[in-house]
Amino acid sequence: MTIGAGFTYGLLFISLYFEVFLLLAYLRNRFSKAVAGPVAGALPRVAVVVPCFNEVRTVEGTMHSLLSLTYPHELIEIIAVDDGSTDATLSALRTFESDPRVRVFTKENGGKHTAMNLALANTSADLIGCLDADSTVAADALMHIAPVFDNELVCAVTPCILVKEPETMLQHMQNVEYRLSIFNRFILAVIGSVFITPGPFSFFRTRVVRELGGWRHAHSTEDMEMALRMQGAGHLIANAPRAIVHTSTPRTLRALFHQRVRWTYGWLRNAVDYRHMIGNGRYGNLGIIVLPSALISIAAGIYFFLRIAVNALISLKDEIIRIEYSGLYPHMSFDIFFFNTSTMMFLVFVSVGLIFALICAGSFIGTGSRRPPLSTPLFLLFYSFLVPLWLGTAVVRAVFKTGVSWR
Amino acid sequence: MEPAVNTRTARWGSYVVAFLITGLIFATALYASNYFNNRRIADIQATQDNISIDILSLETQFDLLAEHSCADISENSVLSNEIQPLASRLSYLESQNGVNQDELARLKRYYSLLQIKDLLLMQQVANKCHLKPVFILYFYSNKGDCKDCTEQGYALTGLSQKYPTLRIYSFDYNIGLAALQTLIDIHDVKDEMPALVINNKIYYGLHTMAEIEKATPELAKLATSTATSSKTK
Repeated sequence: MTIGAGFTYGLLFISLYFEVFLLLAYLRNRFSKAVAGPVAGALPRVAVVVPCFNEVRTVEGTMHSLLSLTYPHELIEIIAVDDGSTDATLSALRTFESDPRVRVFTKENGGKHTAMNLALANTSADLIGCLDADSTVAADALMHIAPVFDNELVCAVTPCILVKEPETMLQHMQNVEYRLSIFNRFILAVIGSVFITPGPFSFFRTRVVRELGGWRHAHSTEDMEMALRMQGAGHLIANAPRAIVHTSTPRTLRALFHQRVRWTYGWLRNAVDYRHMIGNGRYGNLGIIVLPSALISIAAGIYFFLRIAVNALISLKDEIIRIEYSGLYPHMSFDIFFFNTSTMMFLVFVSVGLIFALICAGSFIGTGSRRPPLSTPLFLLFYSFLVPLWLGTAVVRAVFKTGVSWR
Repeated sequence: MEPAVNTRTARWGSYVVAFLITGLIFATALYASNYFNNRRIADIQATQDNISIDILSLETQFDLLAEHSCADISENSVLSNEIQPLASRLSYLESQNGVNQDELARLKRYYSLLQIKDLLLMQQVANKCHLKPVFILYFYSNKGDCKDCTEQGYALTGLSQKYPTLRIYSFDYNIGLAALQTLIDIHDVKDEMPALVINNKIYYGLHTMAEIEKATPELAKLATSTATSSKTK
């Protein structure tokens, strides 16, 4: 076996191992129900922050969905922060001020973390959460989140995020990807290893956020950094899969590429900042398996893509040479003898099958139906060829610390 | 689904079980791949046995020629149609990982021997029946010391498609078969691959289809005869 083949099998083993580990955790959770559920108690006071920067097209929908929440009016405040928008976002927000639950702030543009910190400084609520201005929430979403904080050890709760009205093929593929994320978020909560508290409708115990010093810029991924900081301090982060949030996703490859480069860049830079947690047994599953696997998955994605790309180029070159020297053009052959039955091919099939199982599990957790989205085959066939594009770019930018912008 | 939260305490038993299951998946994949490779080898063995029977039939036909006219034996009927696919199948197996190399080498030696038998009998049939077939012996190396062998193989594949009655026999120069060594000695083929023996004349280095056609005017007759017979039919 060559070094290259050994490396490939090693990465495949690690990828498969992580998938199997997560599935086992899921099955164990399904059968043993060893999940800490909410305890009935008085509902806490909640502040929902809507940080906005040039969101005039979507912010009204976001605000309307928040005002429709079935949460006691006297226990909720909606803090809309205009982060120096140059469009009509502020005036759009002002139209909601007539509702006693809404307060609007405006400030110079400083980034999402500064908007969150402004709201943090101006609220006395027990819980503080965020809803990006491109997202909407189900009316009962907060009722599924707030009671989880009855567990005093819980300091953050993440929701279940679905793609809002997917239209383009790219959005349909992201719809499948989000089902996978629903599974990941849920199962990472089951093993106590959530390391991202996503922007759309994650909630935090206000006291803990203050104790930790508020939000930081964190390489434009403050949601990731806050989760790592909370984990580092020994707090628990839960997931409430019945709290449904719909979020807008990029329509074009260019927009998706930009968003994912930012996410991956932020993750890599935060991983460097919190490197003491990686492989550290003190942080349990998070340190031993989750963080290392998340990092290795980036390397594996880039490596497999490069390997496939190089092999495809070599095959193309061989085919051109074959045509040049034999004068014979390729023709379809269905001789079963030449079907690829290598060990690698079997392992790739198993790996794809496991990903399919995880998507089904994510669909079940998020929607109650095990049926995955119709675009799942598209996702399985093509998405893995897109992901390495932003992974590679993010790695290069992280190495050179170029920084990333939101837009 | 109810909310999920837990401490992050590592459960080492889970790690071990996941490791065992992953190991089992790898072992199963390895077993499945070996199983299909063995099926392929068995398939080739069966094909070679068929070719062996064909050759025995050919020898018998040839013995009968003493009592029958050449009209009873056609040039096209003697060479097994299965030999060409066999070459590509062996070539495919050579490119696969996890194939039993000893078994593959044995199959290649057997294949070479069948080709030599076929060549000798075809030469005898040609002499006896005054046929003028074109024989090309192609010697290649798989040791990584022949940079043009792949291209030469493509050119010969193109020729075999263009001239269906052209006899092309390909031999791995380093296969280690006594009969092949004798053939190499008879034609005095040096260790400079690729090497072509076309109607007993040796050519070294890469030769394109056009160059081989130019060096072998008899090929034009093959093409003409094929075209004529097609039209007659």
